[in-house]
Amino acid sequence: MMTAAHESRETRIPGYVAPVHETAGNWLRQLIIFIGITAILLPISWIAITAFKLPRDVYSLDSAFIFSPTLENLQTVFEHPWNLGSKIFNSLCVAGGTVLLAIPMATLAAYAFSRFEFRFKKTIFLVVIASQFIPAAVVVLPYFLMFKQMGMLDTRSALILVNMSIVLPYAVWMMKGFIDAVPLEIEESAMVDGAHRARVIWEIVVPAALPGIITAAVFSFTLTWNEFLFALIISKQDALTLPIGLIGFRTERGDLWELMAAGGILITAPMFILSLLVQKQFIQSLTAGSVR
Amino acid sequence: MTQISLRGLHKTFGSTHVVKDLHLDIADQEFLVLLGPSGCGKTTTMRMVAGLEQATHGEISFDGQRINEVPTQKRDVAMVFQNYGLYPHMTVAENIAYPLKLRGINPTDRDAAVKKAAARVELGAYLHRRPRELSGGQRQRVALARSIVRTPKVFLMDEPLSNLDAKLRVAMRAEIKHLAHELEVTTLYVTHDQVEAMTLANRVAIMKDGVILQLAPPEDIYNDPVDAYVAGFIGSPAMNLISLNSDRTWAKAENGVKIQVIAPRMGQITLGIRAEDMQLCAEADANFSAELFAFELLGDATMVTVKFGSTSVAVKGDKNLRLKFGDQVHVRFDPARLYWFDSSTGLRIRA
Repeated sequence: MMTAAHESRETRIPGYVAPVHETAGNWLRQLIIFIGITAILLPISWIAITAFKLPRDVYSLDSAFIFSPTLENLQTVFEHPWNLGSKIFNSLCVAGGTVLLAIPMATLAAYAFSRFEFRFKKTIFLVVIASQFIPAAVVVLPYFLMFKQMGMLDTRSALILVNMSIVLPYAVWMMKGFIDAVPLEIEESAMVDGAHRARVIWEIVVPAALPGIITAAVFSFTLTWNEFLFALIISKQDALTLPIGLIGFRTERGDLWELMAAGGILITAPMFILSLLVQKQFIQSLTAGSVR
Repeated sequence: MTQISLRGLHKTFGSTHVVKDLHLDIADQEFLVLLGPSGCGKTTTMRMVAGLEQATHGEISFDGQRINEVPTQKRDVAMVFQNYGLYPHMTVAENIAYPLKLRGINPTDRDAAVKKAAARVELGAYLHRRPRELSGGQRQRVALARSIVRTPKVFLMDEPLSNLDAKLRVAMRAEIKHLAHELEVTTLYVTHDQVEAMTLANRVAIMKDGVILQLAPPEDIYNDPVDAYVAGFIGSPAMNLISLNSDRTWAKAENGVKIQVIAPRMGQITLGIRAEDMQLCAEADANFSAELFAFELLGDATMVTVKFGSTSVAVKGDKNLRLKFGDQVHVRFDPARLYWFDSSTGLRIRA
């Protein structure tokens, strides 16, 4: 985004004089942007710094910026009693499992909503979306009781099921938009060429809607990766996920901020890397073929 | 190798009756054009043949076999869509190969067939491009190549030239005509452009409001239209239709101008005459005289327009003719080339 702003400025014709309203608003605009960026980046940079501090440096103002960095915290969190390793594994299983199950289901459901006419279509779609308006706090107890009955408490499968119920409506809704944008003509064209419906979906619709599908998958993964409330209630020991792992750092001895920050980095880093990777993929799929 | 027949075909969308009791037989290897204004049901008819729309009523058959219940993918038809319907994520080669891939033909044979089809429409150099890197005309060629890469039972073409510029349209028109002849495949072609219909068709079916008005070879439609609508749709310029109030030896046009002509009926009647069946002449020989409304140079001819009230009448003139506004024009009919139509029904009145 920054490069785009740069380019537009550089491509201006030499001797171009900005209209009054453009220059007058400039400093104000930049101030607002600066405040916004600071508000977003400050907590993140605090975490990034604290994760590399020794406990004695955390509360000291003298060493707010100048301190001798250590990797000890990142090591400690993987050791007993914190064991963040198993929590990362759980989080990966839950988020990965949810996406792997939810995205194919959402694709097919979105295709049906986009292309087929059936009775009560609008109502059903509305109900799917509206299911998300129910506050999580209302359904968390029934979920707890249900999984207890089924003997599924503290299992990753239970968390996957719960997360699917959260993710699916969003994914269906997002993907319907992307599938609506795929021209019907290319599907008809494929049918005339001899493809039955399943092949049309797999070979024509899915590739054409791929940027949208990737977007929905990343969104679902992030939502699940960060999910807190249900994981807190349903998991206890074996199925603990990373966000729940973090509250473990609030102990009787006080809050272990340096460890919590190290855990915070472990939570954020994968998302950060994923978004970088996907951004590249995403832009590639959007511009595929336009560059010779 | 395929004879198509449509028997009592109906199609309704909700309360709109788009196709009404259509009967049509298309002979093997015939090039049949469905011609009509938008909304006349021509595209719906074609889509029913393709299986993309279900007929509400009636029967569609290929070689006497009812195919209403056969799904699109098993009908073995090839279709060229108005917006080409190319697969955006596939290269040109993959686009053309797709029908073969679906039929489980091995990659080596597929490649050979793709190269042959691409060469036929002069696309050989673009096989690795994607559709978005091609111009409209090239995309059109990809769509054509994809339809000829196998030998389908039927070609269906839905306004395939309407998105091309005028020059390209003429070139592609000739190309399509040549291909259909060479491949000997029965072709159903939908257009609203009467020139395309005239140039391409073995027979033209003119449709209006879901009904076929006339089904005949193009020259018959041109020379022997069944009604005023068909007469006014075909030819460029279209046939002049002049509403007259006739007496025994003369008639009056809308604005009271007297026209020397003997109508088959007294009272209200419509005279149809083509621009090339009239000529400018001396005042004494004229069927009518009027003031010039517009004069246009066409290169190989000139077009002289006069107006009777709201009715404009175009007369083809010699290429060396020069007229200016305000000139009085004297026009003579070729008496053998007059068409008469009932003013209220539009139906032809044959002498």
